[in-house]
Amino acid sequence: MSQYDDVWLVIPAYNEGQVIADVVENARKTFPNIVVVDDGSTDGSAEHIMTTGAHLVRHPVNLGQGAALQTGLSYALQQPGAQYFATFDADGQHQTHDVEKMVAVLRDGTADVVLGSRFIEQSEQVPMIKRVVLRTAAAVSPTARKLKLTDSHNGLRVINREAASQLRITMNGMAHASEIVGLLAKSSLRVVEVPVDILYTDYSRAKGQSLINGVNILFDISLRERGRR
Amino acid sequence: MKYFWIQLVLVLGAGTAALIFIRRWDRTNTRAWKRIAFVLFVLANIYAVLRPNDVTWVANRFGVGRGTDLVLYLMVLALAFLALNTYLRFRSLEKKLTDMARTVAITEGARLNQERFDEKVSG
Repeated sequence: MSQYDDVWLVIPAYNEGQVIADVVENARKTFPNIVVVDDGSTDGSAEHIMTTGAHLVRHPVNLGQGAALQTGLSYALQQPGAQYFATFDADGQHQTHDVEKMVAVLRDGTADVVLGSRFIEQSEQVPMIKRVVLRTAAAVSPTARKLKLTDSHNGLRVINREAASQLRITMNGMAHASEIVGLLAKSSLRVVEVPVDILYTDYSRAKGQSLINGVNILFDISLRERGRR
Repeated sequence: MKYFWIQLVLVLGAGTAALIFIRRWDRTNTRAWKRIAFVLFVLANIYAVLRPNDVTWVANRFGVGRGTDLVLYLMVLALAFLALNTYLRFRSLEKKLTDMARTVAITEGARLNQERFDEKVSG
């Protein structure tokens, strides 16, 4: 038994075979419950995940990170005893002690959603161009402003059961981060930000999304069919 | 300035049409209108080929220089709608595919993980 039996880590993975097993085993030292969503990887990620103690859910075809997150959340919601849900990156840039900190905030009952932010402290670690773009994104986004967020595109989030049941990610690609912030702003859920430490390793730098992808995100978000879901 | 208002109406009209289109592109009514618009477009094209001078006359009424320019503008509009329509259609297909893949993944995953962890317990 662990004090984190009611926490589920949701890790979307696409072609992360190189590192996924290490990341999962490392996280499992603290969090016994992990579901990895293999998003149709072609590099044998699934075999690596099978060697770990994490649950494996496989998309038959590649659908995108947003879709993988939603699948993982839906799966974790079905698991008995699951109360808290963390979205965690497969490339090893997130740290379990941050998740512990965020779970503690939820356990206090003062928030339903805890988002990680790179900009409350230690923002020097973020590469310069990325810092400018991300800060601009948070500053111009009306929904991020409403929630007073400093970092609207951080992959590290911990949410409680109520928030997880309300979340419906429809943006399959990378636009899901903006979508989640938008959904939170519209809901009555209590959202807080907590400073987190992101490890920018060479691997995560190479795997991270390029900034030009921001154009795709803007396009997808602005063409959502409003009010039709 | 003499054509300012008609140009304004045309531009705003195109914008509004696009917005309405995004909101209800897949309803039966919209689908019917799309088909009517397509037939009208084809008929107008045939007419334009047969009587180019008439097109120029219409173009002048609307404040557009030549008939060919009017045809060009209409073509740009038609192409924009086509692109938008295709994009929305793909999005809708993608959503259906996602729902299906998710159901398969979760059902399969539940079965697989049960097997994996049961084995560990008994073995």
